[in-house]
Amino acid sequence: MSIRIETVTKHFGRYPALNNVSTEIESGELIALLGPSGSGKTTLLRVIAGLEFPDSADGRVFFGDREVTNLSAYKRRAGFVFQHYALFNHMNVFENIAFALRVLPRSKRPPESAIRDRVETLLGAVQLDGYERRLPSQLSGGQRQRVAFARALAIEPEVLLLDEPFGALDAKVRKELRRWLRDFHQRLGLTTIFVTHDQEEAFEVADRVVLIDKGTIQQTGTPAEVRQSPANTFVTEFLDLTPEAVTRG
Amino acid sequence: MAGASTIRLESQRPRKATSDPLAIKMVLTTVTFLFFALFLFLPLVVVFQEAFEKGVGVFLATFRDPFTLHAIGLTLLIAGIAVPMNTAFGLAAAWSVTRYRFPGRSFLITLIDLPLWVSPVIGGLIYVLVFGAQGWLGPWLREHDIRIIFAVPGMVLATLFVTFPFVARGLIPLMQAQGMKEEEAALTLGANGWQIFWRITLPKIKWGLLYGVILCNARAMGEFGAVSVVSGHIRGQTNTMPLHIEILYNEYQVAAAFAVASLLALLALLTLLIKSYAEWRAEQQLKNIP
Repeated sequence: MSIRIETVTKHFGRYPALNNVSTEIESGELIALLGPSGSGKTTLLRVIAGLEFPDSADGRVFFGDREVTNLSAYKRRAGFVFQHYALFNHMNVFENIAFALRVLPRSKRPPESAIRDRVETLLGAVQLDGYERRLPSQLSGGQRQRVAFARALAIEPEVLLLDEPFGALDAKVRKELRRWLRDFHQRLGLTTIFVTHDQEEAFEVADRVVLIDKGTIQQTGTPAEVRQSPANTFVTEFLDLTPEAVTRG
Repeated sequence: MAGASTIRLESQRPRKATSDPLAIKMVLTTVTFLFFALFLFLPLVVVFQEAFEKGVGVFLATFRDPFTLHAIGLTLLIAGIAVPMNTAFGLAAAWSVTRYRFPGRSFLITLIDLPLWVSPVIGGLIYVLVFGAQGWLGPWLREHDIRIIFAVPGMVLATLFVTFPFVARGLIPLMQAQGMKEEEAALTLGANGWQIFWRITLPKIKWGLLYGVILCNARAMGEFGAVSVVSGHIRGQTNTMPLHIEILYNEYQVAAAFAVASLLALLALLTLLIKSYAEWRAEQQLKNIP
């Protein structure tokens, strides 16, 4: 599903987190929102998810042709993976993943056997077969991350939103998971947007990169485009593309 | 190398910069224990000793007295109304001040504490001023034949006032520490507000909630001052256990007074036990946040 964002502005108190942001994401793309901390990239992701709402009526969000600006997150149904996973600590892995199915209205709720099948399939997809009875506190960071993925996929989303998906993991696991995310994205064909402050991660994984600073989109393009013709000094400096750095590199 | 060994010689044991000399530690600990024994433990022993001084027969006879039974029943009734209501109020208050940002929020947090630093007598008096015969609503209430002061409704109101802070105060720091990422996650998974509360928030805060409820209950059953002002002390009608104890004692029925008091003391001990357990579980729950 494609996503369109039109002139979204968002303040927290007086602090402007997003300033007149517009962008379009095509169906099936893997997009990185890249910028320094406090740039507004996470706020933009949360606006897309329906966890934050634009300040004024000018700001609009579309999923495909459908306007979702005023839909709450629970009706928007975008899969969201939180930075620190936000797993339900009092539920085991099975119940975490089954949660989205259990809260469906009775008429739409699948029978217990179907829930079990679905959870098993999702656990298989994230290579965690046999972990059903574990509690989140008994898992490693990378395993928690994958449970969070499986849980988000349980709603069969058409959009997957990831907030610093590898932020809390050590360098080695990060590298592995990058490749895994790339493969995963290709297999599922979902529109995927992930937030990162790590340019290497963004450039290696994403089809296109959206560079954000001070609540404004500075440049949008494929990794090659951005590297070859940075739009302004922010992009040049953030990506360390100054002539000295390039010759050094 | 030489320097390192000199340092080790100078201080035989590792010592924290903030730790006090042994003598001060011992003095402070002894003072604390003495104070505890003298002002808390000894009175508790006396309560039970006095209660049984004239034998188990007198002790048990106290609890066959209809006025005593009524006082116990009324205490249970008032706590039975006030505690669930303040559990609901406390949850609502904790929810709104930790989940929303609105003007007057910090004022509201301060206001929640008000009953703790206002004398309970004032807590009772404000209701007399509002609902009493000479109060603002007095004439209207008399016309409609509604009795609030010197009747059970007034006692419930006074109890609500003094026990208001406990649930909210138990929950606010806990909910602030836990944040609301899990609730947001549930929202993106399609859960509505009701489902989020029952399936996510309540399990997260249940021990903190129990802690608040148990303290609220102890105060509701033990409250003397505020309830005394609005009660009117009508035996068999508006007498709760603490008020009944006072009446018995003033009538020189010392053994009976202490027998009822021992029941309240038992409640306090039980509260302490459950409270410690709930506190411990709430801490475990906070530690479990990865």
